[in-house]
Amino acid sequence: MTSSYTQEKNDLPPSNGLAIINSKAPFSSNHGKDALDVALIFGSFEQKVSLFFQGDGVYQLIADQDARLVSIKDYLKTFSAFEFYDIEDIYVCQQSLVNRQLEEKFHIGDVQVLSSIEFGLALNRHQHVLRF
Amino acid sequence: MKTLAVVVTTPPYSHLTISALTYVEAALVAGINVIGVFFYQDGAMHANKDISIASDEYQAIEHWQRLNKEYQLPLHICITAAEKRGIACDSIDNDQVNEAFTVSGLGELVELTTKAARLVQF
Repeated sequence: MTSSYTQEKNDLPPSNGLAIINSKAPFSSNHGKDALDVALIFGSFEQKVSLFFQGDGVYQLIADQDARLVSIKDYLKTFSAFEFYDIEDIYVCQQSLVNRQLEEKFHIGDVQVLSSIEFGLALNRHQHVLRF
Repeated sequence: MKTLAVVVTTPPYSHLTISALTYVEAALVAGINVIGVFFYQDGAMHANKDISIASDEYQAIEHWQRLNKEYQLPLHICITAAEKRGIACDSIDNDQVNEAFTVSGLGELVELTTKAARLVQF
């Protein structure tokens, strides 16, 4: 078990820029917006950035939400601009969705749903990690 | 040479900031090249001159100033995070920014991340 895990890890390509882990629900704090600002800046400087959604952070991807109903600027709308910033690697933790009884129905396309192990391995491919 | 960049997101009154300071100082003492500390989110509050923490409590801001002076450690604050927290960054007459800190933007975080072998967040 240990050896196959190590083997798999070694086969992965080397360092791959910045990973941003989003772990907070979208409307109770500024963390999601602060993470988005970092992602867009890295994108505009043409630095590789991948987004990871885990724990309550998965709520940031769920479709049919309207922040304006709770008088919050809808920063989730900006997620649709990721392709213009070459942010293409967007990963969500399947177990976090299951735990919250959420369907895999997201407000942006190209979201990759990963098992906990795949999620960890994808994270491991990055040189730097920031968590919000 | 080993290069390290640090991101601080906790406020000056947070106990987690003590961990950040202890870590950064240990790295400097060990001869690691700490290329900069970037203060984001509540971390930006460190640059507020007007913050006063009871004298018998840990003086995080003083310790950052000391590291800046002793090791020429660059301390960057995110201007957006600072202004959102009431720290006037652009006014000459009413400058609330502690001299040890440099007012920067998120672009500086990109710079630090690109140059550093390791990035550690507190």
